[in-house]
Amino acid sequence: MTFDVKYCLITICTLCFQLEAQGQVLSDTMRTKDIQEVTVTSDRTTNPTSVSTTRKADTRLMQATSTLQISDVLKYFSGATVKDYGGVGGLKTVSVRGLGASHTAVAYDGIIITDNQTGQIDLGKFSGSQAESVRMVSGPDNDLLQPAALAAQAAVISISTGRPNLQDGRPKYSAQLKSGSYKTQSIQAESTFNAGLRNTVSLQGEWLKTEGNYPYTQNNGASSLEMRRDNSDVQRLRIEGAMFSDIGNNSTLTTRAYWFQSEQGLPANILYNENAARERLWNRNGFIQSTLTTAVSQRFTLRFNAKYGITYTRYLDPKVSNTQGRTDNRYTEQEGYLSAVAFYRIADCLSASFGADGRISYLDGNGAEQAQPTRYTLNSTAAIKYASERLTVTGRLNHVATKEKTRLRQAAQSYNHLSPTAGVNWLAWSAAGLHLRASFSNTFRLPTFNDLYFEQIGRRDLRPEQASVTSAGIVIDNEIGNVSYSIYADAYNSNVKDRIMAVPGKNTAVWMMKNIGQVTTHGLETGLELHAQDGTVRPALLVSYTYQRSMDKSDSNSSTWNHQLPYTPRHSASAVTWIETPYINASCNLLYSGEYFCNGYNGPEYRMPSYYEIGCSVWRTFTSHLLEVTLKAEIINLTDNRYELVRNYPMPGIQARSSVTITL
Amino acid sequence: MRKHLTKILPLLLIALACDPEPVLLEQGQVIADGDHTGVYVLSEGLFNQNNSTLAWIDFGTGQPDSWASGTGRSPDCFEKVNGRRIGDTANDLLLYGNRLYIAVSESSTIEILDAATCSSLKQIPLNRNGIASQPRRITATAGFVYVCCFDGTVTRIDTLTMQADATITVGRNPDGICCANGKLYVSNSGGLDTQNPDNTVSVIDMNTFTETKRITVRSNPGSIYADGTNVYVVSRGIFDYGTMDYDSRLHRIDTKTDEVTATYNIPILNMDIVDGKAWFYGYGAGGTIQIMDLKTGQILDSDFITDGTRVECPYAIKLEPTTRKVYVCDALDYVTPGSLLCFSPEGRLLYRVQSIGINPNTVAFCDNKVTLTQYQGEPKIIGDINRVFRYMPAPGQFVNLLPKYEQGDDASSMNDKCLKALQSGNMITLGGFGGYITAGFNTTVHNLEGPDFRIDGNAYNGNAEPGVVWVSADENGNGLPDDTWYEIWGSEQKEGRATYGYGITYSKPTASDGDSPWTGSDGQTGSITHNTFHSQPYYPEWYAGESVSFTATLLPDNVTYQDGIYVMSSFGYGYVDNLPNSPENSAFDIDWAVNPDGTPAGLGSIDFIKIQNGVIGCNSTTGELSTEVSAIYNLNPKAE
Repeated sequence: MTFDVKYCLITICTLCFQLEAQGQVLSDTMRTKDIQEVTVTSDRTTNPTSVSTTRKADTRLMQATSTLQISDVLKYFSGATVKDYGGVGGLKTVSVRGLGASHTAVAYDGIIITDNQTGQIDLGKFSGSQAESVRMVSGPDNDLLQPAALAAQAAVISISTGRPNLQDGRPKYSAQLKSGSYKTQSIQAESTFNAGLRNTVSLQGEWLKTEGNYPYTQNNGASSLEMRRDNSDVQRLRIEGAMFSDIGNNSTLTTRAYWFQSEQGLPANILYNENAARERLWNRNGFIQSTLTTAVSQRFTLRFNAKYGITYTRYLDPKVSNTQGRTDNRYTEQEGYLSAVAFYRIADCLSASFGADGRISYLDGNGAEQAQPTRYTLNSTAAIKYASERLTVTGRLNHVATKEKTRLRQAAQSYNHLSPTAGVNWLAWSAAGLHLRASFSNTFRLPTFNDLYFEQIGRRDLRPEQASVTSAGIVIDNEIGNVSYSIYADAYNSNVKDRIMAVPGKNTAVWMMKNIGQVTTHGLETGLELHAQDGTVRPALLVSYTYQRSMDKSDSNSSTWNHQLPYTPRHSASAVTWIETPYINASCNLLYSGEYFCNGYNGPEYRMPSYYEIGCSVWRTFTSHLLEVTLKAEIINLTDNRYELVRNYPMPGIQARSSVTITL
Repeated sequence: MRKHLTKILPLLLIALACDPEPVLLEQGQVIADGDHTGVYVLSEGLFNQNNSTLAWIDFGTGQPDSWASGTGRSPDCFEKVNGRRIGDTANDLLLYGNRLYIAVSESSTIEILDAATCSSLKQIPLNRNGIASQPRRITATAGFVYVCCFDGTVTRIDTLTMQADATITVGRNPDGICCANGKLYVSNSGGLDTQNPDNTVSVIDMNTFTETKRITVRSNPGSIYADGTNVYVVSRGIFDYGTMDYDSRLHRIDTKTDEVTATYNIPILNMDIVDGKAWFYGYGAGGTIQIMDLKTGQILDSDFITDGTRVECPYAIKLEPTTRKVYVCDALDYVTPGSLLCFSPEGRLLYRVQSIGINPNTVAFCDNKVTLTQYQGEPKIIGDINRVFRYMPAPGQFVNLLPKYEQGDDASSMNDKCLKALQSGNMITLGGFGGYITAGFNTTVHNLEGPDFRIDGNAYNGNAEPGVVWVSADENGNGLPDDTWYEIWGSEQKEGRATYGYGITYSKPTASDGDSPWTGSDGQTGSITHNTFHSQPYYPEWYAGESVSFTATLLPDNVTYQDGIYVMSSFGYGYVDNLPNSPENSAFDIDWAVNPDGTPAGLGSIDFIKIQNGVIGCNSTTGELSTEVSAIYNLNPKAE
């Protein structure tokens, strides 16, 4: 291999680390009552009236799936492909419908979290205990109050912290201690109280520490070794505070301040004979944001969001054979965000909205080659919705305009892009609770700062990557006696055009980013849910299956033509079951992934075997008039199945965890 | 319809299940080239995927050894023979002596293989302070292999001990190494500092193994090639953000003056030199192979391939120096297993071997007959001895190394080390004249017609260090070699050219790096001199005596000086370490055993063996002659 090619590969590898090294600008907004939506209060993870496929996990499902990190529960969502580098600190990204992880937006309490540097959000950085629910929508959302930036996304994962509801105005305090294998410990404390008549304040803090030095097997025939993960420690601290205010005139205001910081090691790619891991990663992320919702009249509602966030990332490899003897990359990304949405009910069944988001993002780094880009983004959206008892139709037009500025050399071109989405949901057979739904979305993702400006590889002339998805499905949502059930099946066809990829340039030794890829995916997402509605013994069962055939359609002469996208199993499935009784609650969960490839070329060298993982847990809540105590024990990967999800990044084997939660 | 489906479905399934198999363009084609038995092709695999492979293409069968093809993977004779894989990003392959040396960059190891069997003789991890050195390129000369590593070092490996015996620091991120005019040239790329690459070529004196000069060239030098008295180095320059490319040049360095004497504006990625001409492929040429005159920098042929064959992504080029056939590796798109293409000297494609490995980067011609045996679990014991009774080498440059003396070792533990070495096919040295080893066979060796036992050493043509063999049968049945010894008479004793019972006494040097003087029973004197290649004491360290004496059969002096090099000629037959190992060369017949008066001993079987260095030879290049033994086989464990 020539030096340059190797260097490029190293650089691409570095880019991967910087995916890990990304910081999140967590954002948040107030959650007001869903004025426009018929609130669905059932246990079901799927929403039968949605025009798109939706999945939602509440605290119970997160309990049943032993969710430590948000990414854990997402693995049980049909249609979500989670790429996991293993352990608490390993990067976890989610792609939906073969579109690639950068087409999946993540929203924290309704506002998009952006990472302009890598375009990917590490969902492992969100703790399961900070969310009241996690919802995934693959396609257009019914919600007309959605800000413009979110409306323009192919898929959105929304993490909701929930609005506290204090009974009789009594303050609420809770604390949780968790302890698990490989020296995993976490402490969480929360207090919620009223401040005056109209304000509720919620404060939350969480600290997590793990050694993560789990054993793994390095398979190399006669020289196979039993090893332990090294440099896999993680320490994280999160503090957030929110104030929910009723400010009169049918207006509510939520203000949230958020602080997250972490230090972790990056366990190495396990190469034969050479496993030394030294790299370290630090993240600091803080933001403050506000959401104001005001119902001007019965028909007219306005929502404003504002946010300022700063993310600091440091990546250190203390032993590199360069002049400094190390690689020490530091990045600071800052963001200012303003958003407004106006909602107007034209008639009983017909409403419309218009929204606009402005954002300034600035990235600074310590290297001499840092372009220091500033991106100005203006998202606008116009939507219309018809919603009767049996029929929901939505249509939306999104527009994005960007402008960029750089300190070093020329900036990327400005983008100006229109993209429509539309959806329909029809209650075809009311007695059976049978809905038919269909949606179409045309969305895009902007080139990331790395795509555009990364030294040597980045190219300024990239266009946005475009995705279009057509989906149609059926949902049956009904009850038989005490048992509610839902069955869903959605088939879709998706296309990614102008996919941004690293390819060798004219000089084969110089790699570059290029709009070269095209991917077509045919898929099916299907599942069944059963919930006992009441009674002292309440069982529940969730089963899902996903089929994805993601074909590379970039170049019919290429060796990868029609090959399956890497890390995309054709078949995957999951099952969760739990039972609630007055004495004890118990759950069992199963994940299965069929074989897949770790490279776009589906050669046998790159074949990854299928795997499964089984877990279970038991918990019980003891209640007295003073306090409530919940004890929980979990076993993850019960069969100690050793597998790699990402090639050469082993996943942990069997683990145990226990927790105690006290609520006053 | 159903009928059609049943017809089509199996076809479809086959099409889906079919993984690429290594195939020749035309089956059964004769692909012989020169005297070679075949080629080894190293493929580095994909970065961080642990999938480097080594393919063997036998010119006799015209096919690659496709052992791994059952798994659908690229052929890998390394895994077949050794039961494990090479590792990550094997960067360079060198066939030197009878061995293959592989530099595995990301796994940071050097693999040493027996070229005739592909069996791994040694894996040397290269680390400094626990940090991977990342070996990149290999060169070899005068019994040493030199490896440049990306951490700014060059490591020397002694081919006899297979140990990395010295490491020196050079410039930043060396990416090429070659030897010319008794010196090593290392290109210091400094490529890990993209804005501030290195711009030097280190010159290393091979005798002292020290860096003597740094020649300044353009930034970011990479591949480096030797051609007689000149060295050529590709310097890629600094990445130009205007053109989004490098601006590469080729420098010529005169090794007499160590100055840059010419710079050609030809962007080269890789080349091979024959007769002052370079066959190369360059940047941006879309896989075109070109030929240039290295003296003038003139392009002699701007498109070597004449039959329209397209090479997607040339990744290696190698010429057979006499037949001038050109071997080109095609990496295709870097992820698909690539091909090996062989062109006639006129640029016509002779054949193509597909799916040879992912990113094939080095081609090495092999002259040995190659036999690949599939790995059968734990390494089995080589040879047929199970006891070493006495190991007493005379002083020599490999004494205390082969086997290695460690603090606290005594005669008994050294015996154990010798047994372990011989049972795993590793070399032991007998040191200077008279040094010996006595060992016992695990089963009696019967005297049948033809050869009865075999002893392997490390001789090759022009490098014989003959040792005399003695045998003994366990007459008293006590399992100890306390019975009558009979000398095996080889060609020299038979012809009356040997001196019997020659006595020699070596004195212990006063300093650990001092010489060992000796006196012979006929009054002759000499010395085992300490050299720069091996720094350990040469006198057996576990031996307490201030001097050591031996009595042995002295064979004639076999060292001659011809055309500037020393030649250690082989004798006719009947000696250890006398001829290159082979079933014929290494074989002994019990019928050759004689009584002290030279009459045949008439032994029916033997149980013990003694090997003793029979030459007092020395040359100023490689030092004293010392018999080396690597394995002892019983060819007749059963009486007919």
